[in-house]
Amino acid sequence: MPESAALIFAVGVLNAMTPILLTAVGEIIAERAGVVNIGLEGIIMIGAMAATMAAEGFGPLAGLLAGIGVGALLGLLHAVLTAYLKGDHVIPGIGVNTLALGLVPFMLIVYWGSAGQHTVPRYAQVPKIAGYISPMPFIAILIAVAAWYILFKTPTGLKLRSVGENPVAADTVGILVERTQAVAVVVGAALAGLAGAFMSIDWLGVLTKEIAAGRGFIALALVVFSNWNPLWALGGALLFGTFDSLSQWLKVLHTGIPDTLINTLPYVVTLIAVAGVLGRVQPPRHAGIPYRRE
Amino acid sequence: MAAPETGREPVVSMRDIVKIYPDGTVALRGVNLDIYPGEVLGLLGENGAGKTTLMKILAGFLKPTSGYILLRGRRVVWHSAAEALRHGIGMVHQHLSLVPVFTAYENIILGLPSRMLAGARQRIEKLMEETGLEVPLDEVVELLSFGEQQRVEILRMLFRNVDVLILDEPTTNLTPNETETLFNAIRKLKQQGKSIVFITHKLREVLEITDRIVVMRRGRVVGELPRAMADPRLLARMMVGREVLMRVEKPPAKPGEVVLRVENLWVKRDIGTWGVRGVSFEIRAGEIFGIAGVEGNGQAELVEAITGLRRVERGKIYFLGRDVTNLGPAELYRMGMAHVPEDRRSTGLIMDMNVVENSILGLHRWERFLRNKWGMLNWAAAEEHAKELVKKYEIAAPGLYSPVKYLSGGNQQKLLLGREISKNPKLIVAAQPTRGLDVAATEYVRRMLVALRNQGHAVLLVSSDTDEVMQLSDRIAVMYRGRFVVVTRPEEVTEEKLGLYMGGIEQA
Ligand SMILES: Nc1ncnc2c1ncn2[C@@H]1O[C@H](COP(=O)(O)OP(=O)(O)O)[C@@H](O)[C@H]1O
Ligand SMILES: [Mg+2]
Repeated sequence: MPESAALIFAVGVLNAMTPILLTAVGEIIAERAGVVNIGLEGIIMIGAMAATMAAEGFGPLAGLLAGIGVGALLGLLHAVLTAYLKGDHVIPGIGVNTLALGLVPFMLIVYWGSAGQHTVPRYAQVPKIAGYISPMPFIAILIAVAAWYILFKTPTGLKLRSVGENPVAADTVGILVERTQAVAVVVGAALAGLAGAFMSIDWLGVLTKEIAAGRGFIALALVVFSNWNPLWALGGALLFGTFDSLSQWLKVLHTGIPDTLINTLPYVVTLIAVAGVLGRVQPPRHAGIPYRRE
Repeated sequence: MAAPETGREPVVSMRDIVKIYPDGTVALRGVNLDIYPGEVLGLLGENGAGKTTLMKILAGFLKPTSGYILLRGRRVVWHSAAEALRHGIGMVHQHLSLVPVFTAYENIILGLPSRMLAGARQRIEKLMEETGLEVPLDEVVELLSFGEQQRVEILRMLFRNVDVLILDEPTTNLTPNETETLFNAIRKLKQQGKSIVFITHKLREVLEITDRIVVMRRGRVVGELPRAMADPRLLARMMVGREVLMRVEKPPAKPGEVVLRVENLWVKRDIGTWGVRGVSFEIRAGEIFGIAGVEGNGQAELVEAITGLRRVERGKIYFLGRDVTNLGPAELYRMGMAHVPEDRRSTGLIMDMNVVENSILGLHRWERFLRNKWGMLNWAAAEEHAKELVKKYEIAAPGLYSPVKYLSGGNQQKLLLGREISKNPKLIVAAQPTRGLDVAATEYVRRMLVALRNQGHAVLLVSSDTDEVMQLSDRIAVMYRGRFVVVTRPEEVTEEKLGLYMGGIEQA
């Protein structure tokens, strides 16, 4: 089967786009409901790990579901701490990120007996269309479009956004503030977990101890860059994906530029784009602030 | 207690309501209240009387410590405001609770189940027509005026078909026109059989719009009477618990030399358009010069230009004979200009600092408050000064070292005025000095201003309260769209006439 370079490049872009997109869209949903979750990096990592375990035992579908499930559980923990117990939004995220930094290398050693990385066997990987095209990027795009539609075109979205903008107003008209926030955070974190699963048992086919490689944080930046709009996040994730792919090619082409420098390319470009639009965006007014009744 | 018509059943009764806040404040000490269908009930009381607390309990925002509510004779317990709303009790707060980035329409329908959304737009439009509460439905509410935002909140309640509509100090931020629109809507709603609770501390309003008046003081209902039997003096006495001077005594003015002269002043607003467009006047020692006008007609910019907080684009300001155009506030301060700013909470006082600290703000370079030449503060002297102010101006504070945010608005204003006066200024610029104050504090502050004038200070008073300007001023200017449309004396003009000038309807 002839595979043109352009097609391979395009697939590379789509793959690189996917984890960023899923994670950013998830966080947009959470922040639109007023809950900030900076533990995305950790959720991606733990999601990737759980997915690998489940996939090796029960196949790739179980792997994806495990990623979603673990993400949802970590999201639920965050929701309990922030929405119900009215705790700080930042600290639990730091906790999850730190936990992941220890847990994943630890499990790599005790569960897989390898220091640093573990290759996912073929049978546990998500099957590819035509041998090299994963269905996941398309699912991710669908999720982004659906999220946009729900957030901005349906009464459900209106309710969710009202909670993130002015929970008092929402409360007054009978919207269940805490429950809305909890659902949003759980869904959002589940998407980050799915992003992790995609990375380990689909795109890369390997679980490493630094598998997220900062994508959780880039996604956080992208949430801002996109002005909390999933469609703009799609654009931003494509930008990141393009430069991520490009950097892989630059490495192969032996340009003489050090690899470490090339690796920073997608991050730098994305951050410049973010910086370029900062100040023109309008965050949800009540994002990150615990909602307490008097 | 007397029902307006015997035989009619109240729609809501509150019985023996006690409310103790978690911090121990006893806000309500056993309150009984009946609300009848088709009446406008005025809930009158000074700040802190417990009006808001009582109505928040009725609308489900707070739980009573004890006591209960009867809705059409049946006992109810609210678990949330939403539950009260579903049962037909809606409250529009002093601080509106809208989603700023949503449109008016979205705010009105927010939270309604989908089945109620069919034809919602048409029904809202019909509602707007019936009540005269018109708003642009597709405009984002943060771009609407306060009055329009308030209408959105009222429409939201009406769209949910409330029987009891509670309005908490609804006219505080409204223009006279907007107030009129609101009053007309209230009358129409009443005809439809709805009950309206109108919370206020303004006597004039309660006499204009209500059918029955309940007066509260310190967590108790201290009186109830039909409007026909009420008069301002009686109501004021019930509210305050003692006789109140409705008029401030004022001996004839003895104007001295010119203290401030403003010549053809032009000042821009933040957004770059002209706020003040060629204003000239002078103020003499021993007189109060009052500037009336609906807010937003350039008064704020004028005050800021005079006090050195905003650039003068054209024209001149002379203070004590010296050209002070575009001189900084610090220099003006030293020369003897005192400023009681419009927004005391953010510019006049520092809310988190205590009474002692606030009492020497701006005075802290005085030798009296310095311990040595390196500028160390002498806190004992500062405390002494704060004590003097508290005593002299009857400031009720929990303690000299408690943050001023715990003082009531009236006491904050007294502290601020007292501090400014202690500088023995030549000119006092007072912007909206009694806004948000209760009757007693308002009376006190007005008396202070007149006393200052009698002692030979010059006072520039800027106020959107026509009554206040009429009572206090020796000369009055009305500002409209950046200009003085008239400069006159209180004895040469009526309040009605002043209103016409303020609305730009009449020109001198
Ligand atoms: N959240 C609160 N916590 C503690 N005390 C409060 C609170 N809200 C109001 N109060 C106190 O309860 C009393 C009644 O206040 P409020 O009902 O707001 O009076 P009003 O509306 O008549 O001005 C005041 O002494 C006020 O300081
Ligand atoms: Mg109140």
